[in-house]
Amino acid sequence: MKSKHRITAGKILGILRYVPLVLWVGFFAAAFGWIFFASFSTTREIFSNELLSSGLHLENYANVWRDNTVSRYFFNSILCSGLSCALIILISAPAAYVLSKKTFWGKGLTFNAFVLGMSVPQVMLIIPIYCWFVQAGMVGKLSTLVILYTTLNVPYTVYFLTAFFSTIPSALSEAAQIDGCTQTRALWKIMIPMASPGIITVTIFNFMNTWNEYFMALIFANGNDRIRTLSMGLQSMITAMTYTGNWAGLFAAVMMVFLPTFILYLFLSDKIVAGITGGAVKG
Amino acid sequence: MKKRNRLFILASLGPALLCFAVMFAYPLVRTILMSLYRLPSLSSRMTDWEYLGLQNYTELFKSSVFIASLKNIALIWLIGGALTLSIALLFAVILASGVKGKRFWRSAIYLPNTVSAVALSTMWLQYIFQNKFGLLKQLFTGLGLESLAKINWTSPKYLFWAMLLSYVFGSVGYFMLIFLSGIERIPHDLYECARLDGAGNWTQFWRITFPLIRDVFRTCLTLWTVTSVNFFVWARMFSSKASVVTITPVYYLYDKVFGTANAGTVLNVGAGAAVGVLVAVIVLVTYSVMNRLLKEEELEY
Repeated sequence: MKSKHRITAGKILGILRYVPLVLWVGFFAAAFGWIFFASFSTTREIFSNELLSSGLHLENYANVWRDNTVSRYFFNSILCSGLSCALIILISAPAAYVLSKKTFWGKGLTFNAFVLGMSVPQVMLIIPIYCWFVQAGMVGKLSTLVILYTTLNVPYTVYFLTAFFSTIPSALSEAAQIDGCTQTRALWKIMIPMASPGIITVTIFNFMNTWNEYFMALIFANGNDRIRTLSMGLQSMITAMTYTGNWAGLFAAVMMVFLPTFILYLFLSDKIVAGITGGAVKG
Repeated sequence: MKKRNRLFILASLGPALLCFAVMFAYPLVRTILMSLYRLPSLSSRMTDWEYLGLQNYTELFKSSVFIASLKNIALIWLIGGALTLSIALLFAVILASGVKGKRFWRSAIYLPNTVSAVALSTMWLQYIFQNKFGLLKQLFTGLGLESLAKINWTSPKYLFWAMLLSYVFGSVGYFMLIFLSGIERIPHDLYECARLDGAGNWTQFWRITFPLIRDVFRTCLTLWTVTSVNFFVWARMFSSKASVVTITPVYYLYDKVFGTANAGTVLNVGAGAAVGVLVAVIVLVTYSVMNRLLKEEELEY
C-alpha cells in the first residue's frame, strides 16, 4: 500500500517538474512570437491588437533596410568580433602553452597576473585607456574597438587555455623536437592543432561576448553610422523609431538583429553550451 | 639550447604580457592616482593635475545620486541574485532529474543569454511592459485582474523592479548551465545508494546534491557579483537619461566622465576614477566575505 502511494507521488512530481520549464520557455516564446508577427503588421494593427489583419507587410523589413545602414552594422560587428577573436588566440595560445608546459622563473607570478586581469572590473580601467585614445586621436575608429576587444579578452583566454593545455600530453611535441623540429614549429604544427577543441570553445565564448558588447562600443565607436556595431546600430534605430512612432519598423529592426543570431544558435547550441560550462567550472 | 629555450618562452609570453601591462596594470595604477586629483580635462597631462587627497571620495558620498546608485546596485545584487540563482538552480535540478527533451529545454532556457541586451530589453520595454498592447496588460486583462492590468510598469514607481525582473530573466540561463554541469559531475552511485537506503527526492537534494555543488554555488556567486557590479546596459536602456530610479555606479561614472552630450553635467574625471576604484573595492570585499562564509573544502567523490 505504502509503496503504491509513493509511486503515484513520484509520478505527480514527474509531471509537475515540467511546469516551470513550460511556463518559462512558453513566456519567452509567446513574447518573441508576438514580436515576430508584429514585425509583419502595421503600427495601427499593433495598437488595435489585430496583428496581420491586412496581410504580410514585408515592406517593414525593406524600409528598415533602406532607411538604415543595417548591412554596415552587420559588417562592422562581423569584422570587429572576427578579427578580435583571431588576434586573441594568436596572442593567448603561445602564452598558455608556455605557462602550462614550461618551468621558468616567475611562472606563478605571471599566471596570477592574468587571473588578476580577468577579475578587474572594466570601469576601473576605462578612464586612462580613454585618455590615451583621445590623445592618439583614435576615438571613433573601428580599429580601436578591435584593439580593446583583443587585449581585454586575453587574460581570460590565457587562463582557460592554460588549463586546457595541461590536459594534453606533451610526448608528441617532445618527439618532434628530438627529430629536429624547432620549438616554435612544434607549438604551431602539433600542440595548437591538438588544442583546437579548447580553442574553438573559448573562441565561441569570446565571439558572443564581443558580438553583444555595449559599454566599449558606446564610448569608442558611437559617433556615426559608419562605425556603429550591431548593438549600437540597433539602439540608434530604436531611438529614432520610438520617436516617430513607427512600432512596426521597430519590431522589424529587432527581428533583423535577432534572427541571424538565432539561426546560428539553432545549429551551434550544443557547442555554445559546452563553451559556457567549460569556461566557468574548473574541470 | 638553454638560451634558445629562454628566447622561446619570452617570445610566447611577450605579447600577452604586453596586453596585461598596457591594458590592465598601467590603467589600474593610473585610475587609483587619478581618483586623488582634480583633472582639468580628460586629456590633460599629469603636471596639470591638482592634488585633492580623498576629497573626490568624500564628495561622492555627499552626492545623493551616487548614494542612490549604491542602493540600487545593492538591491540588484541581493534580490536579483537571490532570484536568478534560485531559479537557475531549480531548472538545473529539474533538467538533471532525467526529463524528456533535456537538450531542447537547456538550449531554450539559455537562448535569451545569446540575444544582445539591446534587443532583449527592447522586447521588454516596447512589448511586455507596454501599457497599451503589452503582454502583461493583455495577460492580466484576460485573467480579469483589472488592478494589475492597470499598472504602468515603466512609470518611475515600477521602473526599477521592471528592469530587475527583465535582467533576471536574461541571466538565469547562464547560471542554469553552470549549476547543471556541477550537478552532472556528481556520480550516479551516490543517488542509487541513497535510494536503496530509502531517501526521497527531497532528502537526496539536500543531503547529496546541495552539499556537493557548494563549490559551484560559490563560483556562481562570484560570477554574479562580477556581472551585476558592471550593471549598465539595462539601466541605460530603461532610462536613456540617468535618473535616481535606475542609476548604478557604472552609469554614474559614464554620466560624469563620458556623458558630455548632456548639458549641465559637470565633467569630473577624478570623481569618475574614484567611482571605478570604489566598484573594485566593493568586488574585493564581496569576494573575501564570501570566501570566509563559504570556505573551500576539497571534496573527493
